[in-house]
This record gives sequence, structure tokens and C-alpha cells, in this order.
Amino acid sequence: MSAIGKLRDRLKGARRPLRALSGSGQLGYGVPVKAFDAGLARDPDFIGADMGSTDVGPYYLGAGELATAEEMTRRDLQRLLRGARKLDVPLLIGSAGTGGAAPHLEQTLAHVRDIAREDGMRFRMATIRADIPRDVARKAVRDGRMHTMGGPLGPLTEEEVDGCSQLVGQMGTEAFIRALEQDVDVVIAGRACDTAIYASIPEMLGYPVGPAMHMAKIVECASICCIPGGRDAMLATLDGDGFVLDSMNPDRHATPMSVAAHSLYEQADPFTVIEPGGRLSLREARYEKVDDHRTRVFGATWEPATQPTVKLEGATLVGQRAILVAGTSDPRFIGRIKENLEEVKATVADLVGGEGTEDYVLEFRVYGVDAVVQWGGAPATPPREAFIMGEVIAPSMARARTVAKTTKQFLLHHGFPGRLSTGGNLAFPFTPPELEAGPAYRFSVYHVMEADDLPALFPVEIEEF
Amino acid sequence: MKLCDVAKVMRSKNAGPLKLTLDLMFEDEATWQKAVQAPTLSPSAIAPLYGLQKEQVEVIPYRPALAIKVVMDRITVSGSPGDRDVYGAQQHAPLLETEI
Repeated sequence: MSAIGKLRDRLKGARRPLRALSGSGQLGYGVPVKAFDAGLARDPDFIGADMGSTDVGPYYLGAGELATAEEMTRRDLQRLLRGARKLDVPLLIGSAGTGGAAPHLEQTLAHVRDIAREDGMRFRMATIRADIPRDVARKAVRDGRMHTMGGPLGPLTEEEVDGCSQLVGQMGTEAFIRALEQDVDVVIAGRACDTAIYASIPEMLGYPVGPAMHMAKIVECASICCIPGGRDAMLATLDGDGFVLDSMNPDRHATPMSVAAHSLYEQADPFTVIEPGGRLSLREARYEKVDDHRTRVFGATWEPATQPTVKLEGATLVGQRAILVAGTSDPRFIGRIKENLEEVKATVADLVGGEGTEDYVLEFRVYGVDAVVQWGGAPATPPREAFIMGEVIAPSMARARTVAKTTKQFLLHHGFPGRLSTGGNLAFPFTPPELEAGPAYRFSVYHVMEADDLPALFPVEIEEF
Repeated sequence: MKLCDVAKVMRSKNAGPLKLTLDLMFEDEATWQKAVQAPTLSPSAIAPLYGLQKEQVEVIPYRPALAIKVVMDRITVSGSPGDRDVYGAQQHAPLLETEI
């Protein structure tokens, strides 16, 4: 019998609190062993881990690469698989391989297959794809069923849908439940809502969705909701109306204040969380101390949506990126740095282009002045030194290299009024100071699509070991 | 008093690639109240510090954590050419010296 089947059997008749173990909020960056083992010793009913995020920017999604190192990713997957198989409880992993698109899922599955073979593990696995067919997205655009999320990204066009190299949708509990109903031990999902990893089993077993979803929202980050926050495994015990949070590192404490503060984290609205199947309201959520280490949370409510929606993410190639790194300590050069850089940009455009329309973008960020924050004006006191990063994005790497190398030379020897340091304006930390950063991407899709047929968008496949 | 002297936490982070969110947290109720009422923490006071219009900034007091959440539009989509802070984790600085 499968792990989910056994869990169903154990809970048949008498409902008891459900124990969810969050193994990692970012699988692939390292799972602290001591806390994870402590979690296994608490006899959890299931184990979850999240692997993905848009935090890392558009590159990984667009390029189909993992943000995490291969060796660590494999080690983390092995740790979780071994733990779950030892206890014979379901293991749910969401947003496989950072981006959760087909190449990310495939790379993750390749590790899982290797580990299963090496360890001689026997289990039944469901995989759920999250790649959104372009014709479905295009049709939603045409039908006015694709909505913007505000900020700097306008309405989606069919051209943008076609142009992105990867297009995924965030699946919700519906997809996980459909996978679990196939009587499996392990679920590996493409791009997924973090909450779906932890809320699907409670929802499937009939626990109230509000508290389950709130629990999922908090534990998906493991012990980040504690003080001091950290990556250690977190145990949540869902008793129906609420849940108790218990970090598996005895030095990290879930306090009412630390847990409440976590509701703010990376959220645009601390009171409402929109999920594919509905809306979680935290207006009435309460946080109560159990003891110095644990907090009980209750009161979240759930309002199912009449129209399911899916958040889409897509990344588009914008060109090849080369960068130039250099420092300066010259007060006169720093004193008119903006003008100097603009003048050099014009010189470079003349030299490499000559046709009037540039096929590349050259931008400078001056660290020490305004590279990190777009401050309104110049600093009150000029910095003693500054770091200049030139960024070139061009149609080909050869072209990017040409622009970067030309920029380097003409910035080094740029003549400006009052110049004393005629030996050169720049200090290079090493050579070559022009570095090839590879393909550059942008998020071209971050929109919400109304969807009627969720199973068609997130198909489940079964594999046995 | 300056925000950086009385706040327990001042953090910024993306809330998705299109929005930036700042969480200001305080040690006690009295300071939180003071901050909630401070005109220097209104959307119209914060917006120009970030090169935004006041309609692009939202300020949400959050009593359970003695916190104030500021949510604003990103000027550039996270990680697009021209972005300065892909994670948005260093955008709290313009508010450090704010008087409340």
C-alpha cells in the first residue's frame, strides 16, 4: 500500500492532529541534518519541501537552469527521499528545480531516479507538469481572461506569450490532490504555489482549509518564522481549527510575534493571500504562546473562488550580457562621474555603431554613488572610492564583447576638464576586466489567467521504482 | 526620532517581481502608534523617496506584529535590464533617516 494510502487508513474513523514536517524552504541550498533528523523522530504524517521562487530573477526560469548547485541539490533530495521512505510517509516537493518548467523538472527527476537506483528504493511517484501551452495562454489573452498584476508590467500580448522561452503556471492543491489520489509515495511537482505542498494532504483528508492553508503559508519557509530565523526543519501540528508551530532546532523559537511578523514577509497584503482555488483571510488570525518554543495559530478563514485562476510566469531572452568591472579613487573623476560616463557612452556608440541606431544597451552602475538605490540626487559627501560596473546587453556575445572592450579602453583614457591622473582613470582588480555573463533574460509574463480546466494544465504522470 | 533608531526591523524584499515591500517593525505599542500616525510615513511622503507617485505606494499598519508594511511598485521588473536590486533586499535605505 502507498504512503498516502497508509496515512488515510491511520486517520480513518478518529480524526487526530496531523503532523507536517517542512524539510526545507529552499531545497538545494542544504538541509540542516540535525533538525531534519529531529523532525523525523517526531513521526510526521508527511514531509514537504519547496524548491522554487521568482526571487532569484528571470535567468533560471528562462535558461532552464537550477539556481542551486548540482551536488547540493542531489544531497538534499537524497536526504528527503531517504527520510520519507524510512518512515513510509508521503513526500511532496513543489517547484522542482527552481523554475518548475520542463527542463527544471527533468533535471530534478534525473537526480531522483539516480538516487532511487543507487539506494535500491521502491516507491511510486507522481510528477506534475506546470508548463502552460501557448495556445491556452494566447486564447486567454484574446478572450480578456488574462489579467495584469500591477507594477511595471502591462497587459500581456500574444507576441509576449510566443516570445518567452519558458512559460509556467503555479499549480494549487487541486493538482497535488489529483496526484495523491493516484496512490503514490512521492509527488514531484513543477511550478507550484508554496502553500499547495502542505495544504493538499489536509484538504484531501477533510481538515478545514483556512487553518491548513495558513499553516502551509508559514511552514513552507521552514524555521524562517522563528526568532532567530533559520533554515532548519519545522514541524506543524494541525488540529483542525488551528496549528502549533515547533522548530526542530531547539534554539529557534516560534513566538506569537515572530510568527505574526512572518505573515508580512514577501507579501503585498498581510491580511489576504490569493490562491488558485480561493482566498485566505488572516483578518481574524490569532497567535498564542504555547511555551517559550512553540506558538499556536488559529482563526484563518478560507473563501473558495468561483472562478479558479492561475498565476503565470514567463521569461524571455533579451540578449547576451558582458560586464566590465573597474574601480576609481580619483576625486576629480568621481566628481563628474555621470558626465564622464555619458561622454564615454557617446564615444563608444560612435566607434562600434556608426549607423545611428544601436543594437546594444550599455549601462553603468556606480557603486558608492547610486548603483543600489535610485537616490534622488548626488551624495552629500562624495565617496573616497567608487566601483563602476558597465553592463552590455547585445544580440550576440561577440558584439557584447566588442562593446565592453571598447568601453574599457575609452573609459580608462577618457580626458575630462581638470584631469590630473593622465595614466588612466580606472583600477582593474584583474584582467580581463570584461567578463561574459551569458544570456540575459527578463520576466515577460507575470499575469493571472482565469482557468476552467485545471487538470488539463497540470497533467499527472506516474512512475514506479 | 529617527526610524533607524527606534525600529526593531527595517527590511525590504520583493513581493513577486513587480512589487517591493518594506516591513518596519517596532519594539512596543507606543512607538508603533507614533509611527502609524507619522505624516512622514504616508504614501505621499514615501513616494518621492523612491521616484514614485503616491498612488503607487500603499501603507498598511499591521498590529499583530507591531509593524507597518509599505508596498510599492517596482520601477523595473525584477532582474530586467536596468534593475539594481533583483531581490529588492536593499531598498530600505532611503527610509532609515526618516523622522517620526
